[in-house]
Amino acid sequence: MIKFVLSRLLSAVPTLFLVSVAVFTLIRLIPGDPVALMLGDNVDPQVYAAMSHQLGLDRPIPVQFVLWLKSLLSGDLGRSITSDQEVLPLVLHRFAISAQLVLVAVTIATVFAVPLGMLAAWRQNSAFDLGVVVGGTILMSIPTFWMGLMMLLFFGLQLGWLPVLGYVSLGENFWDGAVYLLMPVATLVLHETGILVRMARASTLDVLRLDYVTHARAKGLSEGQVLRRHVARNAFGPTWTLLGLILGNLLGGVAVVETVFTIPGLGRLIVESIFGRDYPVLQGCLLFVAITYVVVNLIVDLCYPIFDPRVKSA
Amino acid sequence: MMLEMKPNLAILVALGGLCASTAVADTLNVQLSADIRSSRPGVNRDALSDSMALNVSEGLVAFGQRGNIVPMLAQEWTVAEDGKVYTFTLREGRTFHNGAPVTADLVKQSWEALLAAPKFNCASYFNGGRGAAVTSVEAPDDRTVVITLDKPNAMFLKYTAQSQCGGMAIMHPDSFDADGKWDHPVGTGPFVFGEWKRGQSLHLTKFADYVPLEGEIDGYAGRKEVLVDDINLVVTPDRATAVAALRSGDLDIVPFLSTSKASELSSDPAFKVQSAPHGGMITLLLQTADPVLSSPEMRLAIVKALDIPELVDVATHGLGVPNASLVPLGSIYHSKVQDERVSYAPDKVPALLKAAGYEGQELVIQTNRRNPINENVAVIAQAMLQMAGINTRIEVLEWATQLDRFRNGGFQMSAFNYSNRADPVLAYSAVVASKEDRGSAIWDDPKAIELVKEVLQTPDGDARQALFDQLHKLYLAQMPFVMLANNLDVSVSAAYVQNYTTWNGFARLWGVSLKK
Repeated sequence: MIKFVLSRLLSAVPTLFLVSVAVFTLIRLIPGDPVALMLGDNVDPQVYAAMSHQLGLDRPIPVQFVLWLKSLLSGDLGRSITSDQEVLPLVLHRFAISAQLVLVAVTIATVFAVPLGMLAAWRQNSAFDLGVVVGGTILMSIPTFWMGLMMLLFFGLQLGWLPVLGYVSLGENFWDGAVYLLMPVATLVLHETGILVRMARASTLDVLRLDYVTHARAKGLSEGQVLRRHVARNAFGPTWTLLGLILGNLLGGVAVVETVFTIPGLGRLIVESIFGRDYPVLQGCLLFVAITYVVVNLIVDLCYPIFDPRVKSA
Repeated sequence: MMLEMKPNLAILVALGGLCASTAVADTLNVQLSADIRSSRPGVNRDALSDSMALNVSEGLVAFGQRGNIVPMLAQEWTVAEDGKVYTFTLREGRTFHNGAPVTADLVKQSWEALLAAPKFNCASYFNGGRGAAVTSVEAPDDRTVVITLDKPNAMFLKYTAQSQCGGMAIMHPDSFDADGKWDHPVGTGPFVFGEWKRGQSLHLTKFADYVPLEGEIDGYAGRKEVLVDDINLVVTPDRATAVAALRSGDLDIVPFLSTSKASELSSDPAFKVQSAPHGGMITLLLQTADPVLSSPEMRLAIVKALDIPELVDVATHGLGVPNASLVPLGSIYHSKVQDERVSYAPDKVPALLKAAGYEGQELVIQTNRRNPINENVAVIAQAMLQMAGINTRIEVLEWATQLDRFRNGGFQMSAFNYSNRADPVLAYSAVVASKEDRGSAIWDDPKAIELVKEVLQTPDGDARQALFDQLHKLYLAQMPFVMLANNLDVSVSAAYVQNYTTWNGFARLWGVSLKK
């Protein structure tokens, strides 16, 4: 096991290196730079040159990359060009906010979607199944920004039940934090439920058609026993893999939801740093997202044998 | 399962309602479309940072309502005959937020610290880059500050009062930590810098010991009476969310709103929509170095093909006021000469195009979607130009990309807005320069360059007016670009908010009260 984990982590090193090269290069290939944005239409070539020099942006890109890599290896991701904050604490702080939102939402979505998808598969072609399929398709098709705005308008504005904007960390004040997270979490839950319920249904249908399920039924087991003992665990495997991908994706920031609900999470930071051409922050964020993706998928792979013992023996 | 969840939801919902209704009665909730960049005036700044800074801090002088220089922390000043020595007499009884009195020595320290700051945005205004350099700041006694320049500079006080220079805010040494690093602003303004949660909110609280000056509110000076206890600036990047929050009462003021949204809200009695032009410029830039647009006849044809009043009206949803001059409508220098313009005459366009040798070459209008006015200008101008037989295409760019092209002169036509300029000569300076020296220069006529240099060295008065009039006449003769209108301050506040207006691109928060 340790060997497997180490080999997976080691294999991630070249991936992360390539990600860092790509991120570093691509952001600099986009027209516009942070100094120009800072100066806006007050363009004084002398001031521009002085500020570029101060930020080290007048050096050749390979030199900038080597310097950044050197700092990175010593655990220093640099300082934000726009806010002058240290990048690593900034990214970690914003990640913690996104993680609260995403983990709660994905957990709730999973709790709802997986049993719902399995039941729909079990009752394939029934009205219930049709309802789940249609509902799931609608939920996954609605863009999160629209769903979020509708929630804001209905629960915040029309009914006045929930605050339309603001954010309180759960750690700072749990109940206030929960109130502010309610609508963004609900938005994500609805969207992810749509995706997960379809996957859970499809994988359950695949398992239900296998010979060993027919055999279990032939043995005289009740449908409940068949579902619980023989179908659920095996059918959950593909959903688990999808969950890993969803988590990896969402933990990289849910920019749209964070923007609509004024949550200062990692996604919003990434968007702001792209528009502000805040190179150190963007590099730090994307590298962190890549690491998160690797770690989440490693955890998913390590847990997979729980649902499918064949993977363990392999 | 759903039934079991309902009571929990109800509790959360009830808590939400409770939370929403427990806001302090005299807290003014104001939208910040993005977080401020830093809390230090004039350093690592943008317009939103300036807005915060000018509510918290004050300089020796400030801009008045019509762009004139008025006293602030300085009660009066004199300029030596050689134009190089400025002697300021400080007002009595002014204090910093920490209770310390404002003394000449602290003013000297504050100026020296700001001039030495590595990221000071206005370094070139004071180090000789744009005219004179400050050679010394002295404090001969507690109430006298003497600033000496290496050569005369008629713009010195105006540069000093500029918002992007933080109004050369006077900050107490307690603004820095023990290592001499900037910590938080301890200024003299009517608001105290409070809790700042980066990316979320910033509180400005009432400075209880602030003594407002007599008279009326006058630009960034005059009577600064604070009528609320707390300002809660809430970072709300999404415009739709901000409007929803305004409707729900979570926000009281949205200081900067698009003209389209503002026109939607203007008929709703629950809101007050305010719109006024400032010193910024809504323009259609023409690249005079371009083979097609280098012809004066071609540029004149373009201007004559544009029904500018109609264009401005539609692009700004009826809120904009056409202005053919770089001198803002509200400036003391906006004379009758400044109202002269090239008339709309599409019937004259074919002859001008023929004289220019135009053979249907495609012209590209760059624009962006960040500022809806720019996009509207591009779309409407394209339609008007096409009708007049000028072949145009629109290229929509991300703002940073358009700005990059602007900086390098990489455009044929560009629907572009200049930010607020506190003095008309700063508007001319933004546009007039040699293209060899500055890629973003639009108008590189030697005569115009000389005139701008002359205005920069001419103190306020008739001579300055005459120079502005000459510049406008020259502009009309050459049409190096199309000046459409001054940019707009469009704000919306709840009907119960009294006396709020966004002024010259900044959220002015004194004098504002809540009458719920």
